[in-house]
Amino acid sequence: MKHEIQLIVNGETRSLTVESQQTLLEALREDLGLTGVKHGCSTGECGACSVLLNGEVVNSCMVLAVEAADAEILTAEGLATDEGLHPLQKSFIDHHGVQCGYCASGMLISAKALLNRTSRPHEEEIREALVGNLCRCGAYADIIKSIQVASRARR
Amino acid sequence: MKAFDYIRPKSLEEAVGHLTQGKRVNILGGGVTLFLQIQNNELTPDVILDVKALPGFHDIRYHHHHGLKLGAAVNLQHLATGLEIRRHYPLLNQTAQELASPQIRNRATIGGTLAWASPVSELVAPMLCYDAVCHTWSPRGTRTIPVSELYLGDFKTALEPDELITHIHLPSFPARTYGVYQRQTIRHDGRRMIAGAATLAIHKHHTLTNWRIAVLGVDDRPKRVPEAEALLEGAPAEADIARALEAVQENIHPQDVVYARSDYRRAVLNALLQRSIHDIISNLQDS
Ligand SMILES: Cc1cc2nc3c(=O)[nH]c(=O)nc-3n(C[C@H](O)[C@H](O)[C@H](O)COP(=O)(O)OP(=O)(O)OC[C@H]3O[C@@H](n4cnc5c(N)ncnc54)[C@H](O)[C@@H]3O)c2cc1C
Repeated sequence: MKHEIQLIVNGETRSLTVESQQTLLEALREDLGLTGVKHGCSTGECGACSVLLNGEVVNSCMVLAVEAADAEILTAEGLATDEGLHPLQKSFIDHHGVQCGYCASGMLISAKALLNRTSRPHEEEIREALVGNLCRCGAYADIIKSIQVASRARR
Repeated sequence: MKAFDYIRPKSLEEAVGHLTQGKRVNILGGGVTLFLQIQNNELTPDVILDVKALPGFHDIRYHHHHGLKLGAAVNLQHLATGLEIRRHYPLLNQTAQELASPQIRNRATIGGTLAWASPVSELVAPMLCYDAVCHTWSPRGTRTIPVSELYLGDFKTALEPDELITHIHLPSFPARTYGVYQRQTIRHDGRRMIAGAATLAIHKHHTLTNWRIAVLGVDDRPKRVPEAEALLEGAPAEADIARALEAVQENIHPQDVVYARSDYRRAVLNALLQRSIHDIISNLQDS
């Protein structure tokens, strides 16, 4: 069954036709070319495919594209602005929050969801916010540091 | 995923049509379990019926006398953060906070969580302690099923295939109700659960009454252990606690799993419960 839907992706309204069983992950990567959204485990455990759906972090592999009709979606591609990289992105670069890089966009999105709620999170809050994001390089300490520094830099 | 049709009815009348066509229909809450079942070919639906646009399915209503109504499509993140839950059902709040990840909590719904029927479905434990009741609807009408009667063991429920959970209801509890949730898992996400327990008691005239103990991962379904609860009534002494813990051990049937043998699960549950019961008693002494 086909559905005509609109998604507001990184601030831009996009129209697309999706099959019922198509996931939001597939729509973002394959139809819209947003390959910053990574395909990891398909089972909701790794968080590589994390995006914000109406401001809340979700695994895009576990949401149907049609379920997201008319929703606002933020992917890692939408973090930077005309003025440059987002403070989280800068901090991930400066503090080695990116090792192989596969988990990084998901980590950034989870961090963004956290900073939207809490401007100065404690380390414990950062750890909790990242519970659904795995880093197989094991770069957690640097990721946490990157987020801490970014949150301090914001004001 | 294999092809299916997706429908999102806006009324129950509209849903009836889809449920009575003789097609294989699966009900969609948050999908975090359902989509895995479809990917693994455990389920091969013709139609997915999304309940998230049905009227009342997002209701959250608290009344100090009548208790709490939660629509089936309310997500677990709301249980983890909602003010009325934190204030009046802290045990439910605490359990939801510890469960899974923000990504999963933002999607998973109360209806889907209760219908999932896993022996390690953590939210069921506080629901059992709070005497939660499921309200359901099917083309044949509505009915109520206490959560304590919902599970038939090994992932089976008393729900008919075309029966929707519309909402759940929790009675109100006195302000001085204490609850503790304890879990032991291999990884933070509860899919490698060793054991878990929710414990609750009501403080009345310097004693603790109405004890409830609900255990997870140690039987074919989450369940209360009334044999142990009865032994704790009043002001339990160490000997009473020891007898209650023994009663728990006599009434559970844990399975061996690759990451935990049954005797280990027993030992872990014992430690979790001991801690929980002492926590509740010290809460009473502090107050
Ligand atoms: C990565 C991951 C980590 C997890 N970690 C934990 C954890 O730490 N602790 C824990 O307890 N659980 C955990 N879970 C399990 C999770 O909590 C449940 O799978 C989830 O709550 C199910 O809710 P849902 O709304 O997504 O259900 P769905 O997947 O939508 O549905 C599940 C089942 O319920 C049926 N259903 C859905 N809604 C209704 C309704 N209203 N009426 C009748 N039937 C309905 C569906 O048809 C399906 O059979 C985890 C799951 C994943 C994927």
